[in-house]
Amino acid sequence: MTEYAIEAQGLGKAYRIYPKPLRRVGEWLTFGRYRGHHEFWALRGIDLALKPGSSLGLCGANGAGKSTLLKVLSGTTAPTEGRYRIRGRAASLLELGAGFHQDFTGRANILLNGVMMGFSRRELIQKTPEIIDFAELGAYIDEPVRTYSSGMGLRLAFAIAASVDPEVLIIDEVFAVGDMYFQKKCVDRIYEFKKRNRTIVFCSHSLYDLRQFCDVALWLESGKARAQGDSIFVTNEYAAFQRQHIGSVAEAVHGDIPLVPASAKRRPEDMPRIVDARIYRLGTDEECYEVQSGDSLEIRVWWSNPRPAETPIQIGIAFMRGDMTTCGGQATHFKGVTLAGTEGCLVLKAPELRLLAGQFLIPVVLFDGEGVHRYQDYLMPQNLLVRAYTKDIGLFRLDLEFEQRRLAPPAPEDAPVEAGARP
Amino acid sequence: MSPEREHALAAEWVTARPTAWREVGLRLVRLPWLVAQHWDLVRTTLKRDIAARFQGTVFGWAWPVLQPLFLFGIYFFIFTEILQQRLGDLPEDKKALMGIYMFTAMLAWSALSESLSRGATVIVDNGNLIKKLVFPAELLPLNVVLASLTVMLFGIGIFVLATVLTPIWHAPGPAILWVPVILVLQALFLYGLVLLLATLQVFLRDTAQIMGMLTTMWMFLTPIFWIPELMGEGLEPYRGLLEANPAYHMVSAWRGALMGDVIVPAGQRLMEPVLVARIPEHLGTFALWALATYALGYTFFTVSQRRFADEV
Repeated sequence: MTEYAIEAQGLGKAYRIYPKPLRRVGEWLTFGRYRGHHEFWALRGIDLALKPGSSLGLCGANGAGKSTLLKVLSGTTAPTEGRYRIRGRAASLLELGAGFHQDFTGRANILLNGVMMGFSRRELIQKTPEIIDFAELGAYIDEPVRTYSSGMGLRLAFAIAASVDPEVLIIDEVFAVGDMYFQKKCVDRIYEFKKRNRTIVFCSHSLYDLRQFCDVALWLESGKARAQGDSIFVTNEYAAFQRQHIGSVAEAVHGDIPLVPASAKRRPEDMPRIVDARIYRLGTDEECYEVQSGDSLEIRVWWSNPRPAETPIQIGIAFMRGDMTTCGGQATHFKGVTLAGTEGCLVLKAPELRLLAGQFLIPVVLFDGEGVHRYQDYLMPQNLLVRAYTKDIGLFRLDLEFEQRRLAPPAPEDAPVEAGARP
Repeated sequence: MSPEREHALAAEWVTARPTAWREVGLRLVRLPWLVAQHWDLVRTTLKRDIAARFQGTVFGWAWPVLQPLFLFGIYFFIFTEILQQRLGDLPEDKKALMGIYMFTAMLAWSALSESLSRGATVIVDNGNLIKKLVFPAELLPLNVVLASLTVMLFGIGIFVLATVLTPIWHAPGPAILWVPVILVLQALFLYGLVLLLATLQVFLRDTAQIMGMLTTMWMFLTPIFWIPELMGEGLEPYRGLLEANPAYHMVSAWRGALMGDVIVPAGQRLMEPVLVARIPEHLGTFALWALATYALGYTFFTVSQRRFADEV
């Protein structure tokens, strides 16, 4: 039988919302027969089973229930339904510096905060040098906390918390501590935890952190599990979802390319236009919008141009990530392709498309003959969803390999010679 | 995390089930162990609490001494000098009696009123701790009670010192030995009250306001500034009300322990000792009050605790 470090079954948390305080009194006076509140389910139906040494990352929009789940697991608030259990000592870091007293020195606050977290005084006095060292506060440790910058306060708080060594560590967004240098120290400390077979639960908006630290991830949406499992899979799903929510696309796509001037008087039916555009697997008639990184695709664009002599056209096609980064693209005028006739189907072949995970918009732009003005922005109605199962970062998967060699560093003969060094 | 705090129930399921009555009962009995277990936390926060009150002030640690001295000065001046309120015809060196009579009761009362006024909001005010840290929240109200009792003890120490060093009153007799008992009962009583109010305040924010008014009323209903033995017939219809007032028993016990019996010299207007310190009687009644209040307050707190983090 597997011994799980954290186990949860159908965990749910509802908050009671009383529109007016008087409604609560009403409930008391009628012994609950009058119902003056409505319930808000911040979390519902969460199942977890984490083995010791694994780490779970939570992602999701603000208000999706991440913090609520952490609060329930850490025991500060009780579940409304379902149950959970934690094996071993659990420590939670829901907020750095909760319980700091502004008028006391950093040193006094180490004792105070540490005692709150369940340390004994002796243990803390023993650990104080280590904590001061980690927080790097120097002489400030004997100044009142109120004189600290917010970064210093956070550093001290993390240093105290980092000296806890529990079996299960529950952390709410603490990677945003201080400057880059200190962040790295924190991250190193968390890695250390992981190495010592500690179980970690944390939430982060950084998908990078989630992929780095977590074996498993849980994507929460409106308090429910939207996706759960392998962290790479979940973060990819989440990234793809995030990129669907995009504002005014056409604006961002080619806002810098002017439309064909309206003075050119032509009837609308005489204007060139994009009729349709679809994605297929390369060389097949299988339409497909969900692919894995490295799949081969082709994009077919049907166009019509009733008066090609008067309105010569060019077509550009791009892959654009949700954050409006153009990841790649081509245009007929770049390649010297001529689109002759009154209608046709233009195919853009993309063998081994190695875009990394995400949801990509495919804008198709109909240009005039010189590629200066555009007639039309056509946005493919369906986005291209790319899934990746490798731990790469960036936009594309490059052929990057590591190798280790026993090589001495190059001799410093090319180094600039200092003046007067030569005899 | 200290070994004692390792979640003892770690491998047990945490469910939505309301706190079982059996657990409530166990927690009522186990309070001393809880306090012993978290003595570090209690001591540190108590020290912080008292230090924070005087830190940054000019007089610093002289304040807990100055406050009762000032209080005594007022009572003595107003009631003895201006109002000429006397207990019989006391010799000149004992004329401070009325001031002392009020002062001793006022010391005990101020611990009560301070506990209530600061305690009612203690959970709400520490909402951030409740929401973010896992620790026994019942120690917060306890802290308030212990802090106000500590400040009270300063005043009592000064009073005892003054009676020994100056002739304003005779030094306490063997009745002073009751002090530890009174202290424990008073702590229990105040703790129960504060738990009750602080919990109520979480759900009904009007509690502190209402309590502020009620405390003032309660103060005048309690014989602090008046002497029930001298009230005569007028008091008789309300004798039951007086006897049912736990604060009456509390201040009377303190007064008895600190002042002893007040014996008016023979041949004077009052032949009998007017104020007999019936300490065991008062303490007996007060003990019942203390235990009942503690049980009620702690039970209310325990069954409501799981909803604190959602409400503060």
